[in-house]
Amino acid sequence: MAPGPGPAPEERLEYDRSFEKEALPWLDDVYRFALSLTRNEADADDVVQETYLRAYRSWHTFERGSDARRWLFTICRNAFLRTRERARHQVDVEDGDVEALAAHVEQTDGTRSGDDRLLARLDLGPALSQALARLAEPFRSAVELVDVEDQSYEAASEILGVPIGTVRSRLFRGRRLLQNMLLTYARDAGFASAKPRPDDAAPSPT
Amino acid sequence: MTEKTENTSNADCGPECSAVMERLWEFLDGELGSDDATALQAHLALCAKCYPLYSFEKTFLDALAACKCETCAPHELRSKVVSALRTAGFSPVQPQVSQRQ
Repeated sequence: MAPGPGPAPEERLEYDRSFEKEALPWLDDVYRFALSLTRNEADADDVVQETYLRAYRSWHTFERGSDARRWLFTICRNAFLRTRERARHQVDVEDGDVEALAAHVEQTDGTRSGDDRLLARLDLGPALSQALARLAEPFRSAVELVDVEDQSYEAASEILGVPIGTVRSRLFRGRRLLQNMLLTYARDAGFASAKPRPDDAAPSPT
Repeated sequence: MTEKTENTSNADCGPECSAVMERLWEFLDGELGSDDATALQAHLALCAKCYPLYSFEKTFLDALAACKCETCAPHELRSKVVSALRTAGFSPVQPQVSQRQ
């Protein structure tokens, strides 16, 4: 519970004041992360509220001076997973599926060499936002945390509860998936030479 | 899952280029040690083939980072969060506590 049973008024005041100062300013960031997890505004609202309630009740466990945003992201991720458990709906693909999807990415990877220049001709902002919204888990969480929310690999590892190597793998593959989506966007926009080139696929990961 | 590296590559470059470019994303993410980062930077300064790829990837990541600015929490959500916190005992000091500075 908040500051513990029967806290002195001054302790309670300091508890609330520090929470207000250090945790609440990250509401936009937590919302964005929740939205990336849920892909649904109503669900994101619920996850954000749950996150802040849990954060408030656990604020005494937060290490002062450490990264509050990272701490909130971790709570947000856990709150999201709990809502998914309750809904008995699995959103993360299993590792086997991850591998299969990654193989598909590598097979259809056309973003290397000359095709890179095509992406440079696009208005990347709107296209990327659309692509990011369509990016599948678990790649999207890694990309959102590192690329959009500027978290380190280590922080993303802690937030997602996976090893750093897994973050790196998901991040890099997520980026490749996004670039492939942008190539499709480029083709749709009339850049006819933006063709997937399976023969140019990247070397298989070792 | 085991750690795997799937990074940028440049098929037209030699082994040195491939080895350096293998870590391009980690370099751009600020995740390389200083020695490796210095070596990669030196390579980019000299290699006409790798620099365009670096430039492209940097543009791509900059555009991704720019996606951040487009989504903010709805005002109603801020009010709901503060209201829920109040029911849990929270007493904000600032009257406009739900507004991010």
